[in-house]
Amino acid sequence: MKKTNNHPPKWADKFLEWYCKPELLEEIQGDIYELFYNRIEEGDSKEARRRFAWDVLRSLRLSTIKNFNLKLSPIMLRSNVKIAFRHLLKQKQYSFIKIGGFALGIAACLLISLFIRDELSYDLQYPDVDRIYRVIGQFNDDGKIEKGVHFPAPFGDVLESDYPEVELSGRFNSSELFGAGANELRVEGEMQNFHEDGFVFADQEFMELLDIPMVYGDVKHALAQPHSIVISKSKADKYFPNENPVGKHLILNNDEENAYKIGGVMEDFPATSHLHFDFLMTMTQVEFWPGEQTFWQANNYHTYIKVRPGVDAAQLEKKMLAIIDDYIIPSEIEAGSTNIEENARKASFYLQPLRDIHLRSEGIFDRLNHGDIRFVWLFGAIAIFILLIACINFINLSTAKSANRAKEVGLRKVLGSVRGHLVNQFLIESVLFSLFSFIIGVLLAGLVLPFFNQLADKSLSFPWHEWWFVPLLLVSTLVVGLFAGLYPSFYLSAFRPIDVLKGDLSRGSKSSGMRNALVVFQFTTSIILIIGTFIIYRQMDFILNKKLGYEKEQVLILGGANTLAEKESTFKQALLQLPQVKSASLSDFLPIPGTKRNGNVFWREGKTKEEDPISGQIWQVDHDYLKTMGMNIVEGRDFSVDLALDSQAVIINQDMAKRLALDEPIGKRITNSSNVWEIIGVVEDFHSESIRDDIRPLCMVIGNNTTSHIAVKVNTTDMPGLIKSVEGIWDRFSPNQNIRYTFLDESFATMYADVQRMGRIFTSFAILAIIVACLGLFGLSAFMAEQRSKEISIRKVLGASVKSIIRLLTQSFLTLVLISLLIAIPLAWYVMQKWLEDFAYHITISWDVFVLAGLIAIVIALATISFQAIRTATANPVEALRKE
Amino acid sequence: MERIYLGEFEELVLLVVAALQGEAYGVGVMEALEKQANRSVNISAVHAALRRLEAKGFVQSEWSEATAERGGRRKRLFSITQEGSLALAQVRDVRFNLWKQIPGFTSNLSFS
Repeated sequence: MKKTNNHPPKWADKFLEWYCKPELLEEIQGDIYELFYNRIEEGDSKEARRRFAWDVLRSLRLSTIKNFNLKLSPIMLRSNVKIAFRHLLKQKQYSFIKIGGFALGIAACLLISLFIRDELSYDLQYPDVDRIYRVIGQFNDDGKIEKGVHFPAPFGDVLESDYPEVELSGRFNSSELFGAGANELRVEGEMQNFHEDGFVFADQEFMELLDIPMVYGDVKHALAQPHSIVISKSKADKYFPNENPVGKHLILNNDEENAYKIGGVMEDFPATSHLHFDFLMTMTQVEFWPGEQTFWQANNYHTYIKVRPGVDAAQLEKKMLAIIDDYIIPSEIEAGSTNIEENARKASFYLQPLRDIHLRSEGIFDRLNHGDIRFVWLFGAIAIFILLIACINFINLSTAKSANRAKEVGLRKVLGSVRGHLVNQFLIESVLFSLFSFIIGVLLAGLVLPFFNQLADKSLSFPWHEWWFVPLLLVSTLVVGLFAGLYPSFYLSAFRPIDVLKGDLSRGSKSSGMRNALVVFQFTTSIILIIGTFIIYRQMDFILNKKLGYEKEQVLILGGANTLAEKESTFKQALLQLPQVKSASLSDFLPIPGTKRNGNVFWREGKTKEEDPISGQIWQVDHDYLKTMGMNIVEGRDFSVDLALDSQAVIINQDMAKRLALDEPIGKRITNSSNVWEIIGVVEDFHSESIRDDIRPLCMVIGNNTTSHIAVKVNTTDMPGLIKSVEGIWDRFSPNQNIRYTFLDESFATMYADVQRMGRIFTSFAILAIIVACLGLFGLSAFMAEQRSKEISIRKVLGASVKSIIRLLTQSFLTLVLISLLIAIPLAWYVMQKWLEDFAYHITISWDVFVLAGLIAIVIALATISFQAIRTATANPVEALRKE
Repeated sequence: MERIYLGEFEELVLLVVAALQGEAYGVGVMEALEKQANRSVNISAVHAALRRLEAKGFVQSEWSEATAERGGRRKRLFSITQEGSLALAQVRDVRFNLWKQIPGFTSNLSFS
């Protein structure tokens, strides 16, 4: 049976006696003991012990702490600082390694901290950020949850009218189909058009909901009038320098009848906003087709709500399910769906807090640029590891060099120094090192910041104006200094003077176990970073060179062609006259971002009542599209100009054939409930979206509208010359409109800019980590060589070869690197496998990555060590031997 | 009139010390506060208040005989000083005056 413990916890009692002023001790200790015994009598001894400790901790007040100043007297402080300086100057090489490594680590840490701080500060500038939510629709498709942000037009109003919890709801529509996105813009009364991006349709309520700060106009009315537009300050400065443009008119795409009147000028969306628009066009009295605003069957609106204070979002989400029964199901039934009830049960709503949108939108398809909370964690971890590696250098070098300090410690102890004094001395020394490192590190980070900004695509700066920044740096200096100095100082101060002065001390080899473990840690981290870098680059390479199902090289994309209006096809003919132009196609549906997309459902003809539809896109193309994009027909034929019937023809992709279970698709007919088409061909699957996503069903029909994009397949080695000729033709057709062009492969690459950026950042920090780790290894090997110089000299005198000596010196370190490799490989494999799973199409990690990374680590380590090893091995043995 | 600095908690502790008539010490004061004023506080708060009161000269202290119940340690016994009594009286008078000016409450007051 367990004996009940009727004594107060010893550590607490000891602690009290240690910190308490002697004159107060008897009173305080007496009272706490009395309380303790009283509580024991009440029964629960465990509780009594717990409360005893609590009382001791609570009694720890400024007024009860005894005077500890004896250890930090100014004279001792000055003496300690002086001695630290002398050591620093005496051993320049080691000081350089310690401080240099530290400074690099600190600079890396600082940059990453700035990056993380920026990522975490998104959208916090909006007032009432905690009450604003983005509505997410979730559809549970057999366990796979699909998340969408697009809702029917009346959805927002219903939220506001049916739910008293909702204070305000606002929508925006960013679909290019209706004229959002990019447009040609000119000020009324001028001729020249400019291409501008960042157009969106938004409610008056949407502006109020975010409370967008205004330069001119009132946030409560700016979008209230029909045909009103709100522009950002930077655009106002561009088109109306030094004037208030409110009331002026803007003409979009030469549509003079529907000119927009400027209702207000807003401040630019800050860099830390998940939304970036320059032109908000009103939704007041807008209907994109008759009845659109009350139509529940099309999802085109991002919907945001602001709830009343104290509303629980999770409960509201549940109550919102009523919308499905009250509005969505009736509308589906009206449209003729049969099994809607069952599907409706799979749908639910999620209210995503505004502050989560930037970092936690994983799996939500919203066509906005997002950060990723996993990157934040990853970079944070890298920062901490680099700092740890730097700290380890410090610890290793300090303990390794202990032999040189041992005599000092011994003598000090003989002369009456107690251990506390020595610990103090070494701690002060390490804080001093830390201070120098921080100063250099901050300078370094400041120097590198512009490059880092470029690398990370950010505009970061040091928050010097914040009151907490400098104190935080100082506190970090202290903490890092103490952390790095803790182990060495206790280790060094523990030497027994008698051993030291007798000369018995095993020179620096003591604690080599600890040192080896730390070296292994450093190299494990570095190798993981190397492997990570390799895999990221391979995946990048894989994406950029994957067989996409279309040819992305030598395709020029002209934009803004809609301003040509009816002259567009003549322009195309003119282009084809150029000898380098192989073909040209008018279509706004291209496999790159910023071009049109749509959502449709398809059935096999005649099966609309009995079968579930599949969802997919209809791309409107022209007769030259497949040829221009280099897509392959695997069955059937391409559209033909000669056959008038092709207006009812459709070409589907392989995925659609598969999903519709069409074994012999040619000649079959499909429908989207309003149109019926006959399949004339099947095109090989191609990546219409990012490679992160799967290929989805898609079909193509002949479109007859004016398009803003013209894709031009060329065959030339003189691209600038060709562009000049194209420009020449363009200017003939459209003198008031600048030509705008991109290349298909370039636009394609922008989809993966974040992966590329990530790869570059990762590489930089991996290199940094390796440099810091190698600095440490360099120091250690230098030290070992120095220690064994006499032994080596004797070996040489006795006939050892240079080769054998080098092997002797490098062997032990190489073993450590090999151990690190063994630890690093599975870890790296696991982490990178997780990362790759994010991509629908990815490489498999092959063993050669590990071999390569291992070789690099070994070569770098060997190069670092052998510098010292060779120097020692080739030195004249007389030099070392005659010293004594 | 010289101002007396006496915090709310200090005033309460001072009253308890006065009421315990020379038998006040840390744990005793703490228990009295709990029973009579329904205030449950940590012993360290009582110590701090007593130290402040002593520094202000409102209480004085002396050591008791050693007692077995606290591991042979002595108690520090507090008693109120002349200044302490004056301070308490002054605080009471100020409050009484103010109470008198509130119509409807006067009859319920029964100071001194």
